Amino acid sequence: MNKIVLDNNIPLILKENKNTPRHALCFYFKISEPEQKAGIYTILNRLFLQGTKNRSAEKLAQELDENAIDCYSEMKQDFIRFKLQCLNEDFEKGLEILADIIKNSTLDDFEKEIIKLKGEIQAELDEPKTRALDGFYSTIYKNHSYGHTYTQILKDIDCITKQDVEKAYHSLIEKSSKVISIAGDFSNDCVIDLLKKYFSDIKNVVDCKIENRPQDLNKAEVVKIEKDDASQAQIIQGWRVPSIFDKDYPAIMVMNTMLGSSGLSSRLFLELRDKKGLAYVVRSSYEIYDQSALFNVYIATEPKNIKTSLEGFKVELDKIKNIPVSETELENAKNNLIGKRQFFSETNLQQASLIAYYEDKGLGADFEERFIQMVQDVTVEDIQRVANSCITDNYVLTVLAPSEYLKGL
Amino acid sequence: MENIIKKEINYPYLTRPVEIYERENGHKIVLAHKEGGLVNVSSWVKTGSINENDENNGISHFLEHLMFKGTHKHKAGYFDKTLEAKGAIVNAATWKDYTFYYVTLPKGPNDAYLKEAVELHADMMLDPVIPEDEIGPVFTLGDDNVSQKRERHVVIEEIRMRQDQPWTKIYNSTNKNMYTSHPYRRDVIGFPETIASIPRETILDYYRTHYTPNNITTIVAGDFDHEKVLELLCKEFDFKGRENFQNPQYQLDKPVDEAKYIELKGKINTGFAITGWLGPIARDLKANIALEIINIILGEGQSSRLYQNLIEKVAEPVFNVVATDFYNFKDGGNFFVQANYKADKKDEALELIKSELEKLLKGDMTEREFNKAKKKLKARFAESAETVSDIAENIGYYMTVCDDLDLVEQYSEALDSITMAEVNEAAQKYLALNHSVTTVLLPE
Repeated sequence: MNKIVLDNNIPLILKENKNTPRHALCFYFKISEPEQKAGIYTILNRLFLQGTKNRSAEKLAQELDENAIDCYSEMKQDFIRFKLQCLNEDFEKGLEILADIIKNSTLDDFEKEIIKLKGEIQAELDEPKTRALDGFYSTIYKNHSYGHTYTQILKDIDCITKQDVEKAYHSLIEKSSKVISIAGDFSNDCVIDLLKKYFSDIKNVVDCKIENRPQDLNKAEVVKIEKDDASQAQIIQGWRVPSIFDKDYPAIMVMNTMLGSSGLSSRLFLELRDKKGLAYVVRSSYEIYDQSALFNVYIATEPKNIKTSLEGFKVELDKIKNIPVSETELENAKNNLIGKRQFFSETNLQQASLIAYYEDKGLGADFEERFIQMVQDVTVEDIQRVANSCITDNYVLTVLAPSEYLKGL
Repeated sequence: MENIIKKEINYPYLTRPVEIYERENGHKIVLAHKEGGLVNVSSWVKTGSINENDENNGISHFLEHLMFKGTHKHKAGYFDKTLEAKGAIVNAATWKDYTFYYVTLPKGPNDAYLKEAVELHADMMLDPVIPEDEIGPVFTLGDDNVSQKRERHVVIEEIRMRQDQPWTKIYNSTNKNMYTSHPYRRDVIGFPETIASIPRETILDYYRTHYTPNNITTIVAGDFDHEKVLELLCKEFDFKGRENFQNPQYQLDKPVDEAKYIELKGKINTGFAITGWLGPIARDLKANIALEIINIILGEGQSSRLYQNLIEKVAEPVFNVVATDFYNFKDGGNFFVQANYKADKKDEALELIKSELEKLLKGDMTEREFNKAKKKLKARFAESAETVSDIAENIGYYMTVCDDLDLVEQYSEALDSITMAEVNEAAQKYLALNHSVTTVLLPE
């Protein structure tokens, strides 16, 4: 892996992988000005493929598909990232189109995109799991841009103006910190020259610090969502926990692996699925954002099992808080977590994405190696300590089910 | 060493040919080289809902769950725990023509993890116990007094999950109505009533019948010593003289004569629709490529006709989503148009889709569209050669559904030589409007 800084101060990380047929590039733009109305960045993100000064939306789509170039943007809580993936011989063409999208998007289809977005959100909310997650995130991140879910966007969308989106676009291009990463079978010099050709006029704001911490969660909140024809209840319970910058990050990752993030041998899977037959899907997750992070447990189960499932969660969470895990289980979880990292960074696109993610967070593109060492250093005491500090009485519990099963929750 | 027939296939974008070995008992082994530290070990069995009937519908998938419940050598949980402690992804899947089981993991120092994965995977494939206490007792659906809720209930929860998904609801309805007698008409996962009542002995019988040497292909993809791994596979996959089973042959049903329409209701806010057609058998390479080309032109991505004409260019919005999909099956694939639309615009939505199909059936495809689709199909091979899991899955599909890997080698040539006229012919042959089945789901 090679890191250089372009003349415009944008860090460029190159990862050479011989004998791979497709190049992959990631271009991260950190969101430096959080949106005041839910949906501004979502609309901007959609408009990036809806036409530039040089290409209409249709021409853009055609040119990408005719060259089998995957080029799209993704909006996450803290950044918008562009991903480009294509056969090696089409890379320059891909870069030229990407540069056009980043620098010359017209946002002309603003009104049409608002209408399309509203319709797509309605369709998404017809999925019970999406509705349950929507209720969960909008509550646990109330009054914060991280809580700008589909239903929040539907509330705000008619107040969003084209000027709001133009301002967000300007802020993203002019005021954000940026990172580029590329993985593939290339020569460094050649790729650097291409990057200079297409992106040297984009300036980087190094170390743009954003302080926008969500308010602390000081109580337990229960969100009930009625869906009378649901065959399954959707249950999510989550806590606000330290993020990737915290010393406890590796220990929380290991705890999450043990409890239910990874595979068929985790505690929640064994106890709630294998032994009790409560669910097909039961898991835990650890979601990382810049200003906060979440630890969640999730189950989808027959509505009459809601109480048993919540009790099952409590038993497992109390167990990890109160009983030290065995050295064997700890070692297995560490090896599970470390071994799977290879699986999630097998392709050029996965590698480019991961190294840019770390660089964007200010952790350094080589963070993965340090992370693996940190995981190896996690102790039995660390697991018990983070379990007690993370799983507290301040949580959000969301249950979607037919109304008769929501009584008494 | 036993007598084994070997052949090699040039697989696009891999640096070495793929090796196929056929053992005396009919068991096939495929070894594929891919640089990197990860390996995939998988076995594909030629059984799925194609071998089911109304009484045992869902048994292939139920058995897939139960294969993880221990062997005579290792108790339930040992396989998952041992391999996941080495960073493995362990799982399985069941579809109409096949069931497959896989492990993807780091190959380990001196290929130690790979060897252990092969041993445990072979043990699971050949010697499952399927214990009664892991299956859970037979019960009557709705009985709240069941004490031992084990894997039966897990599968029933999986069925419930799908019952809540609008797309799955209408897919199942369209699929069922496209056929008259072929087993493909059944939903792969089955029904809660059936899963609650299948006894252990029936499941064991099904396993013994279908998990035979000639019905299994084992694949290893990654960077490893082929000679050693082949030797290990032959040793571990000891079928102990298990008798082979020849799958029955089915003729695909004729498509419906008149367009069929089914309307369902649900507690939703938008409208959903799926229209489906019966397609060519999987080994008809040219016809499958033709329908893949039509799929790209008509409904894949933002440059497709349906997206451009029905979402981007309409004055008043009708659709939220409109796209196509094409599935390959051994006895005949399926082509689908899927749409989500404003609930009060069902008739308009269906009419707009129909008019796009009519234009295509008249043969108005442009050379530009045709070349775009061909380029995308070429790039797809590069994509499917990027991970050991994708390589193994692609090989498994061809070996199981198409009976051989020869089509992989012929694919590029067939793609290069296909003409617009052939694609237009395929459209007329397979996508006639009177041969279509449509299900819509609307708010109550």
